[in-house]
Amino acid sequence: MKDGLAAERQADAMQVVMIGLGEEKFALDAGLVREIIDPVPVTRVAGARAFVPSVINVRGNVIPLADLRIRFGMPQLENSADTRIVVIELQLDGEPVLVGVTADKVYEVTEISQTDVQQTPRVGMHWKPEFIRFITKWREEFVIVPNMERILN
Amino acid sequence: MSAIDPTEVFRQEASELFEVLEGALLDLGQRPDDRELVDSAFRALHTIKGSGAMFGFDKVASFTHEFETAFDRVRKGEIEPTQELISVALAAKDYIRALIEDPQSTDDVIGEAILDDLKRFVFSDQPAAPVAAIIEAPSPAPAERKQAGWHLYLEFESHILRNGSNPLDLLEDLCKLGPCFVVPVTDGIPFLDEMEPEDCYLKWDVKLHAACDKGAIDDVFMFVQDEMKLTLSPLEQVEAPAPAPLFQLLDEEPAADVETPAPVVETPAPVEAIAAPAEQPAAKTEPKSETKPETKPETKREAAPARREEARQDRGIATVRVQAERLDELMDRVGELVIAQARLTQLAASGSDLSIKVIAEEIERLASSLRDTTMGARMVPIGSLFGRFRRLVHDLSRDLSKPVDFVTSGEDTELDKTMIECLADPLVHLIRNAIDHGIEDTAARAVAGKTAQGRIELAAVHSGAQVLVTVKDNGGGLNTARIRAKAEEQGLITAGAVLTDHEIHQFLFHPGFSTAQTVSALSGRGVGMDVVKRTIENMRGSIDLSTRPGEGTTVTLRLPLTLAIIEGLLIRVGEGRYIIPLSAVEECVELTAEDERSRGRNFLNMRGNLVPFLRLREIMSSSGTPDQHQKTIIISTGETRVGLVADQIIGNHQTVIKSLSKLHSDVTIFSGATILGDGTAALILDVAQLVALAQSKVEKQHISEAA
Repeated sequence: MKDGLAAERQADAMQVVMIGLGEEKFALDAGLVREIIDPVPVTRVAGARAFVPSVINVRGNVIPLADLRIRFGMPQLENSADTRIVVIELQLDGEPVLVGVTADKVYEVTEISQTDVQQTPRVGMHWKPEFIRFITKWREEFVIVPNMERILN
Repeated sequence: MSAIDPTEVFRQEASELFEVLEGALLDLGQRPDDRELVDSAFRALHTIKGSGAMFGFDKVASFTHEFETAFDRVRKGEIEPTQELISVALAAKDYIRALIEDPQSTDDVIGEAILDDLKRFVFSDQPAAPVAAIIEAPSPAPAERKQAGWHLYLEFESHILRNGSNPLDLLEDLCKLGPCFVVPVTDGIPFLDEMEPEDCYLKWDVKLHAACDKGAIDDVFMFVQDEMKLTLSPLEQVEAPAPAPLFQLLDEEPAADVETPAPVVETPAPVEAIAAPAEQPAAKTEPKSETKPETKPETKREAAPARREEARQDRGIATVRVQAERLDELMDRVGELVIAQARLTQLAASGSDLSIKVIAEEIERLASSLRDTTMGARMVPIGSLFGRFRRLVHDLSRDLSKPVDFVTSGEDTELDKTMIECLADPLVHLIRNAIDHGIEDTAARAVAGKTAQGRIELAAVHSGAQVLVTVKDNGGGLNTARIRAKAEEQGLITAGAVLTDHEIHQFLFHPGFSTAQTVSALSGRGVGMDVVKRTIENMRGSIDLSTRPGEGTTVTLRLPLTLAIIEGLLIRVGEGRYIIPLSAVEECVELTAEDERSRGRNFLNMRGNLVPFLRLREIMSSSGTPDQHQKTIIISTGETRVGLVADQIIGNHQTVIKSLSKLHSDVTIFSGATILGDGTAALILDVAQLVALAQSKVEKQHISEAA
């Protein structure tokens, strides 16, 4: 984890896709993001874990749709005009896996500076610290860079 | 276009040749008299040697050369291919394979040892033979020379030059057998404007004055025999030795023919009339042809052309080598097409435009035939897999000193190529088990009054939408009591529990379960059967065991025909739509009010049989109220039948199977997903899991009733 942080500090800018979940802003590494699509009909998978409740069809592939809000204990909002699905590609157990992530809003593709990285506070958080890679500052706001591999495993 | 590594091509080709070679050698063990087998082994060796040298595998070439030389004596019928010889030959084959695939891992010492072995077998039993052959040879030779010589008429297919064969080289080789009188037949040459510069129009009329046997001539044309017509007749009488001027091939003229102006592109230039020195023919007579003993019976030689005719017809089926990934990609595209077509059909059905409907139907027809063709292209006969096990059985039966007769049937049965790959390991386990545990040792067999030689049958057969692969031995059968004792010892069941034999046998699939009293190098560690079961189930197949004490055990694998597209039954449960593989569906009935009332016990009365049923609404935890008339779909795996209660049966659906991602690997009741006509995803029910679920519910009910 520390090595990762050090490596990220060396390259001080990081391309991210800024998404909104509930009241918070999350920065997803742009390298992971494959596409951003409008909401599509979902198919519920009975018996699946709560944070991957359904599957969707994205260009002929059936991929799981994850709900990060459940992992971060946020209320689930109804789909609005701003709701999008961000399709990301992750390495799970060494294999590439496509996963859709519901976002309440997608802001923009931007750069965040890694020099502003804040140490994740150990107290005062109701989120599991392992879900968070680091917290940084963007336009005077704190944004969370989530650790997607951990969240989805 | 990425360049294809020629070495890789050679490796691939060689691995196919090894299969041919191994098959031929193993067959030879059973039918030592079959000349065809010897020839095909020899051909494979020869090709490996040739291509090996071409691609710079010099060690391969030189080793194979030695191998070939030794084997040549078998081919000439001088020695019998004994079991020992075949074992050594197989070892030699493995060594060549190692030389090609991983040269670093091999050691010259091993190669030399194998060659020594080979030579010992080939030359030891009759050390005088080569000498005898030489002594004998001259005596029949002069006698034959009186009428010796052959009249050949060569007609090559027009495209032979494009394949890189040069008829002139062949003629040259022919000249090495003895003095030749070659006359080109120019009848077939068209006018200049009709001529294809790359075609071969020439035919040759050759008089060969040599006492060689027909096999030597066949050898010259071995590699082109499918692309030419060779008419052979013995020369009636010997013509005056080397009449001058003799038409002879000039060695120094290989390229000149190309330069010669058309229309005589490859005509007379090489076949130049020169005054041949009279002594040359005699000098040119290769010692090879003289020492070649005339041991082959005449009848066998007569059979040769017929065989070749057959072979030519076999090879007439043109095949194209396609990379497996391309086939996979094609299958994916076809899958997408089928999905798009389903959407089109749905759209057309909802509209009223007749012409759109006609097109939609047309495309539906095309898509389904394209699907069948593509799936057909991925089908591979299972025989390619069976071939590998013959070696396994051969080695095991030698190591365990249990003579085993290995019989295969249904090699033509076709299966999706991915399934063939997945099947290899499970079958290895099953065959090992059959030999190691199934077949008793010779003493025990004698006591039981059986033949000393055990028998293992490997069979594949189509059965509806499934393929059944069975491994059957005629050994001692499963020892039910011992399995039971072991299960009790391991705490899997309580002592005295009432279980059917079938249930007891299921413990064999339990991880870590082994009844072998001694752990051998091969089996008995209890790893295997559970892996076999899991692999087969991953392929959406199932595994059955049946046994008769003292008579043997049969393991049956039931496999779906393909992994890519299946026929499915589309049903609706609440808001969700699901697919049930049609191959598992037996019938659909309405859930009667009477069944509905008996809420406590979930059983249907199907023509007097009790069939447990599951309410899919409960399993899927559907919201809303159930439809008034619930439908029951009766599914079956093996002998067990289970009813599934759904809200609505929508109809047939061409189901392109998409696997579920790792994130849903914990969900067992679905085996995959597919995409429906409207673009939404639908889940495919895993029949085996649902049946197991129903069974466990039934058992729970029994327990709660008993309590």
